[in-house]
Amino acid sequence: MIKRPFTGLSQPKLKYDSVESDPKGPETVLMPSNILLLLNDSLDSLRTSLIKKEDQVKKGEKLSLYTESTEYVISPVSGVIKKIESYPGEFGNIKTYLVIGTEENDDFVNDFEEHADKFELEAAAKLLKSLPGAPPFETLIDPTKKIHTLVISGVDEDLASTTRQYFLSTAPEDLKEGIKILQNLTKIPKIILTVPEGFNVEFEISGMQVFNISSFYPNALPEMIMKNQLKTTVPQGKTCEDIGVCFISSEAVVSIAKACRDKKVHFEKLVCVTGKDGVQKRIKTSIGTPVKSIFKHLNIHTNKNDRIVIGGPFKGFSVFTIYHPVQPCMDSIIVQDAGIIPFVSDSACINCGKCIKICPANIPVNLLVRQLEANLFEEAKETFDLESCIECGLCSYVCTAKIPIFQYIRLGKHELLKMKTETEKEGANG
Amino acid sequence: MDNKIKLTVSHAPFWHDGDSICKMNLHIMLAAMPAVIFGIVQFGMPALGVILLAVSSSMFFELIMNFATKRSLSTGDFDAALIGLLFGMMLPATTPWWVVVIGAFVAIVIGKQIYGGIGANPFNPVLVGVAILMVSWPGYFDSDAALLNYQFDFKALAPLAALKHQGVSAIDFFPIKTLIMGQQVGTIGTNFGLGLILGGIFLIIKGYIRWEITISYIAGIIITALIFNLSNSGSYAGPMFHLFSGYTLFGAIFLATENSSSPVNLIPMLIYGFLGGLMVILIRNLGAYPDGTVFAILLINLINPLIDYIRPKALGRGVNNA
Ligand code: SF4
Ligand code: SF4
Repeated sequence: MIKRPFTGLSQPKLKYDSVESDPKGPETVLMPSNILLLLNDSLDSLRTSLIKKEDQVKKGEKLSLYTESTEYVISPVSGVIKKIESYPGEFGNIKTYLVIGTEENDDFVNDFEEHADKFELEAAAKLLKSLPGAPPFETLIDPTKKIHTLVISGVDEDLASTTRQYFLSTAPEDLKEGIKILQNLTKIPKIILTVPEGFNVEFEISGMQVFNISSFYPNALPEMIMKNQLKTTVPQGKTCEDIGVCFISSEAVVSIAKACRDKKVHFEKLVCVTGKDGVQKRIKTSIGTPVKSIFKHLNIHTNKNDRIVIGGPFKGFSVFTIYHPVQPCMDSIIVQDAGIIPFVSDSACINCGKCIKICPANIPVNLLVRQLEANLFEEAKETFDLESCIECGLCSYVCTAKIPIFQYIRLGKHELLKMKTETEKEGANG
Repeated sequence: MDNKIKLTVSHAPFWHDGDSICKMNLHIMLAAMPAVIFGIVQFGMPALGVILLAVSSSMFFELIMNFATKRSLSTGDFDAALIGLLFGMMLPATTPWWVVVIGAFVAIVIGKQIYGGIGANPFNPVLVGVAILMVSWPGYFDSDAALLNYQFDFKALAPLAALKHQGVSAIDFFPIKTLIMGQQVGTIGTNFGLGLILGGIFLIIKGYIRWEITISYIAGIIITALIFNLSNSGSYAGPMFHLFSGYTLFGAIFLATENSSSPVNLIPMLIYGFLGGLMVILIRNLGAYPDGTVFAILLINLINPLIDYIRPKALGRGVNNA
């Protein structure tokens, strides 16, 4: 954990982890006999789902809950569904998890094969969404977005991860090929590759620009790249995609290239795991492997009240079970010992101003937090710029009063969204 | 999914820089130590008594208010202790015990707790306490009278009072060097210029006070005093004299910078500090009080909410390039 610098005059230097000059390949973690898949869709107890307990599934089979669902997972194994139940996510967002008992056989349903030589975006969205790296095909086919710039992230957004840089430096050929495929597929005119400062890109593609990204957090966050490199500001309440810029990780691009070359999808996900001792290891394992198996392989012991963070220290989320599975977008895992977990307080804001100095979005955090504590969400949005927040988490990181500001902010945004959908519904009904 | 191990589930970010209110307050108290120790050495046991009483009664009133308002105990963040310490430093060593206790009561209860406690006070609690005492029992703040029984090996006059009553000629009694070294009649913890400056530099480097306020406050003092002095050096003392006498440095470092009652944005901080310094000199040169620090800072506390609205535009506000 990076502590306050000895002098408080300068801002804390949160340097991104950078990949070694000759990176070591990942250790392989074998899949256990039971794997888990998370579906971003909720079970409806009144309806019969397409997939049920005891169903046989084949490797490569596309699984979704109902006929009209757009959400799906591709099973990385053949076997039998042992369990299908709800999985509580953030803000009451319910997902569904499947436990699949693996069986030894060579069945492979290859829906992608027929498309591999020449495929359209539609097909990609239907078949390749859960490739390692989670390519954002849904955004790319969304007619309301009008994507005009595609940014390939060769830099990791959060700390404690080198996954994207690893692909940037070890798989330049695949990356190049993947970018070309995407160029043909999407016809997006402007392609940008982001790389860490001082990194030399060995290949050239016509129409592709390379941007060097500062090695300090939060400069690799999409909103910061928009501001610093693309010189466009995302309007309050809008996303980068809303104004036509889509981000895709280097791993996703490499995955696409591999899928096209092998004419089949694959499931090997690269993950950076930071243990309790702070040592970082790179592993590869199949999507669906519970994190428990990774810990076992790496000799990491988890005890009561430890914390498992999926993603980085600033933007990640913590999970309540060691059976949480590896997912397509999971670049890093951090295990924190119960003893070092920073304490969150219920103290009021003391107006120390540290959050103001560090906030990259110029938000009056000290005033905003007072509104949010009082549930004044409209006020928070209108006067105190809630919707300018780029969710970097730095305000909470430095808060002297240890207020969970970032959580308040996310909750506030969530409430606003809920209010908006409710008024829209009412409008539609009335 | 079995959950044999109960994990901690909480929200991002999962790191913290390790700072805390308690740490901050301890740093500020540490920074005040050179001046406090100097005061105790200079004024002896009575000074120590006043400081200890001020700190302990402040913490006591904080506890009482915690119970009265049914909140969790907050003495552990040392905020009450810090208020008590700074309050004690502003008193002469001879202040009677009951005056100290009343002042601590006013500072903690009226200055801080009735607004809802830490972070909610619009005025600096220390100054609320001191101001009430100054208005109610001005005699105890007359350092000359209070310290009549002391023997000093330097000019035993409070510099600002001397300036007020005897005019600029009195300044000659107080070479700047002796002022910086604390050789002046005054309160326990606000005389030792060098110690205060060291404490201030420490706090600025550690980031526990906002340097913008301290520096602009001092600039306000120097510039305003200089203008007066240049316009009529026969009636008005020069900037250095003002800077090193009375509560000036103490105010710039420990009082104007109180978190809750001061601004956090750059431009407002500069305005706030500068106005504070300006007011001090105006009160000293034109007003009735020999020192103006207490009322000047209370006044800028008052305007703080008005000026702290001047802030940079938030990212994406009013942008419409969708
Ligand atoms: S998370 Fe905090 S620091 Fe980051 S942009 Fe939002 S308000 Fe500012
Ligand atoms: S860092 Fe925390 S305590 Fe300090 S002003 Fe911001 S919200 Fe308030």
